[in-house]
Amino acid sequence: MTVAQTGSRRILVWDVVGLLVRLGLAAVWLLSGFEKASDPRETIVAVRSYELLPESLVSTVAATLPYLEISLGVLLVLGFATRLAAALSAVLLLVFIGGVISAAVRGLSIDCGCFGGGGQVSVGATTYTLEILRDIGFLALAGYLIWRPDTPLSIDRFVRRRAEVTAVSAADETAD
Amino acid sequence: MELTRWKWLAGDGGRGAGCAPGEEDSTVAQGSSGRKPTGPQNNKGSSGGNSSKSAASKPPKGGKQQSISRKSVAQARTSNTNNRTQLIIGVVAVVVIAAIIIIGIVMNQKETAVQNAGYGASTKSVATESNGVVSVSNPSVTGTTPKVIDLYEDALCPACTEFEAQFGQQINQAVDEGKLTVNVHMLTFLDPRSFSQNYSTRAAAASLCVAQEDGSQSGVYMGFRSALFASDTQPTEGGSADLTDQQLADLATSKGASDAAAQCITSGQNMAAATAADQSSTATLKAATSGQVATPTVVQNGAPVKTSVDWLTTLLAQP
Repeated sequence: MTVAQTGSRRILVWDVVGLLVRLGLAAVWLLSGFEKASDPRETIVAVRSYELLPESLVSTVAATLPYLEISLGVLLVLGFATRLAAALSAVLLLVFIGGVISAAVRGLSIDCGCFGGGGQVSVGATTYTLEILRDIGFLALAGYLIWRPDTPLSIDRFVRRRAEVTAVSAADETAD
Repeated sequence: MELTRWKWLAGDGGRGAGCAPGEEDSTVAQGSSGRKPTGPQNNKGSSGGNSSKSAASKPPKGGKQQSISRKSVAQARTSNTNNRTQLIIGVVAVVVIAAIIIIGIVMNQKETAVQNAGYGASTKSVATESNGVVSVSNPSVTGTTPKVIDLYEDALCPACTEFEAQFGQQINQAVDEGKLTVNVHMLTFLDPRSFSQNYSTRAAAASLCVAQEDGSQSGVYMGFRSALFASDTQPTEGGSADLTDQQLADLATSKGASDAAAQCITSGQNMAAATAADQSSTATLKAATSGQVATPTVVQNGAPVKTSVDWLTTLLAQP
């Protein structure tokens, strides 16, 4: 009984952590996605300012990126394909971190445009270190969800429990 | 025995309301080992654990064998079902992502569509300068009262160039047809981000020169303004070059400006006027936007206009 109680308290903690991490990362994507989507011209300017993409790709990336972020946010809010969404989040964040590092290395004076806005800022007004640290923090959230994608209030957990029940009752029928 | 096990996995074992006991066991195991992957894999752990428990309490001989076979059947089914479920979930997730992106791109294309593409440069507009603000209209059209907007721009602002690319031709046509009067305010707050540290002011001064000298020449001022905000002319913020006064004068000449205007630009005689205009226009912009200074901003009747794709169409359709 004591063991069971300790166990469920532990579960509760992990569940709360998992839920917070999942919803936190979802909030990051939804916020940044909607900010970018709401001002498409500004997003084009922000993407162009990295000077990494040929002009022909700038508008395509600027058009796609906000909605990729929103879709990841939607999957995470629902807890649907959490591990896949977390893995894609990690890839996207690594791309962002790489972009900011390359901007810093090349001595560009830009705002990352991470949450909308973007474009050039005056020399010395860049916040690359902060931007990279923040993205690494988000990357940690994604990493956690890759490690432990099973969180409460998720479609994933609901679907898996149903599958378990179905499979076991079917196995019992066969065995009988 | 079957009944017990069924209840156990179904989450009816009597421990905890929110979490199925089967779940708890597997998660505890993970918590302690700290390595076991979560998700579908842990079903094996939980069903295996339960089965062995039931096997241990079962009488030996045939019963044990039956239990083992049942265990493997259950395991196989669980993992098969789960693999399939995971595959379906993955595919659906990818479809959701693709659908959101496609809907987004369609919306984005609508939102960034170039308005009145093909109209080209303004041919009938004239410009008058007053206190550093240039008013552009076509007074030769009679019988309609044009709508009036104030347009705040900085010559170095890249979003202004995006704005010009999207709405420039629509503005040109509305002005030419006498439906719109544009008061152009050239701000200079991006000076420090230009290579020369004063590009915005020099470009604003050059605009005043063209308006003063050649404002009465149809389309010349608007032609020069559009050229300033063309993507192949506008210098980049933080760039390693911008346009010299001579280059600004040449640009004006190429759009039909007179030698007097070119002379005005290269002599820099409107620099003080441009700075003064920046100050007064910044004040009126702040009054309209409750303190925010950003470009491009369109103001009508003292209030900022949200420049979504159909802002000018909507504005022109006002009674």
